[in-house]
Amino acid sequence: MKDVREDILARLVAVAGTVPNIRTVLRNHTDVIDEQMPAALVLDGDEDVVAGNDGSRPSGRPLLANMTPEIQIVEQSDAIGSDLTTFRRELMKRVLSDATLNGLTGSNGSISYAGCETSFGWQQKQYGRLQLRFTFKYPLQPNDL
Amino acid sequence: MSLDYGALLFDPVYAEIGVPATLTATGGADVAITVIDDTRPKPLPAGSAEVRGMGPGAFARVPELTSNGITRDGYMDAALAFNGRTWIVRSYELLGSPAGEDMGEVRFLLKEAAPP
Repeated sequence: MKDVREDILARLVAVAGTVPNIRTVLRNHTDVIDEQMPAALVLDGDEDVVAGNDGSRPSGRPLLANMTPEIQIVEQSDAIGSDLTTFRRELMKRVLSDATLNGLTGSNGSISYAGCETSFGWQQKQYGRLQLRFTFKYPLQPNDL
Repeated sequence: MSLDYGALLFDPVYAEIGVPATLTATGGADVAITVIDDTRPKPLPAGSAEVRGMGPGAFARVPELTSNGITRDGYMDAALAFNGRTWIVRSYELLGSPAGEDMGEVRFLLKEAAPP
């Protein structure tokens, strides 16, 4: 059995945990308290098949899938702007260069940075959220699942 | 006949649930006032997740502030100590009253004070 999607998501949690000063890494947790910040939330993302889904070939044929997990960095800080910039830089470097992730996507696949979005507010300090988007193009082999 | 909303409405409420506070405007002296603690839960969105935290705040009576020499331009960045914590006024909203905003309440929106 081999489930590349799960392997990528699990590795993404591990990689997020190596970003300096991140206190908590959580997968699919949607309820975070401020004491856990700065936190990285890895949320299993959407997926589309981008190649191999045409014609009348066998149902178990290999496919290429684009998976876009949601990675949220949340933090309270007096310097929220520069903090989020640093988290973005450190996470992006690690994800794009990680040997395990690149190995999982294979020679037909890729990892690409697809952008980010931010939002801000106030709690006891200024609150900021940074959502990074990566697209993982990977070979999906239904017969191996 | 005009009503004294301060005496009839605000003062009894502050007498019951108000707490002693010290407000220090930037460059000013400590002023003893009474505030109502308005610290409340404050969830914020994080994409499809949510971060639960606390939003510190406090109500005060504008006439009490004015009578102590604290005018509106002294609200921002003032230190406000009550219930064992010291906060900084990061913003405020005037809540008004039937007798006008100068006779009403102000809600201070607070942030954590920097460590000494």
